[in-house]
Amino acid sequence: MSTLIIIDQPPYGSWEGREALDMAFSLAAFDQPVSLLFCGAGVNWLRKGQDAAKVQQKSVERNLAAAPIFGVEALLADGNACHQYGLAETDLPDHVSITDFGPELTGHFDHVAFAG
Amino acid sequence: MSISSPERTKTPAPAGVFALVITGAPYSSQAPQTALHFARAALAANKRIDRIFLYGDGVYLASSLNVPPSDELNLSEAWAGFLTDNNIPGIACIASALRRGLVNESEMQRYELSASNLRAPFEIAGLGEWVDSTASESRVLYFHKGS
Repeated sequence: MSTLIIIDQPPYGSWEGREALDMAFSLAAFDQPVSLLFCGAGVNWLRKGQDAAKVQQKSVERNLAAAPIFGVEALLADGNACHQYGLAETDLPDHVSITDFGPELTGHFDHVAFAG
Repeated sequence: MSISSPERTKTPAPAGVFALVITGAPYSSQAPQTALHFARAALAANKRIDRIFLYGDGVYLASSLNVPPSDELNLSEAWAGFLTDNNIPGIACIASALRRGLVNESEMQRYELSASNLRAPFEIAGLGEWVDSTASESRVLYFHKGS
């Protein structure tokens, strides 16, 4: 059963994205195939050089860096959302691939879940 | 001309089993009540529900301290009654619950807190319960707060 977890919420505005990331890490910990897709304002998770110290939170950039270590198979970013938020492919972390978010993508997964 | 929905021609849960994930809180979202309506309809249609998993703000549904006005539906009480009557496990994610001040007796003792507030028959457990549903034949449905 392959799962796609979709994070469509910006970082720091709520805990929904972080809790979606926990879901992805749990699946990976139980050896279940899982990938993450960032779309909408959620692509802001992928910005480099985040400093969340002033809101006394851990940087989501650091949380996300652990994804390949946990065994998350793919980190995907919706191309349209990246364009909308001014993120070029070269702005994204090395392990992130740009894709088109739509039924063709979600159809590759048995199970699709949104962050909230 | 009749219009048939996909649900009428093909069941949305091939094995006839659902797992429900509720992430929206009672009274600030419609998620728990919509999920309850769905759950009742599923059982009435002879489908099965393997578990209810409360995640994020959805854990507030498992509080024993919700006291809505007497002329409003007590969603926590309604859900607790439904789960008990139908012998369906109701699980609140432990990480979500502890963050939001929802604790059972053992967590109360572990963290030396002054009270516990988990409503029976809800239990507190890890995300492994949700993983178990996703890895099974159950169709997992999510009830979010909406936008």
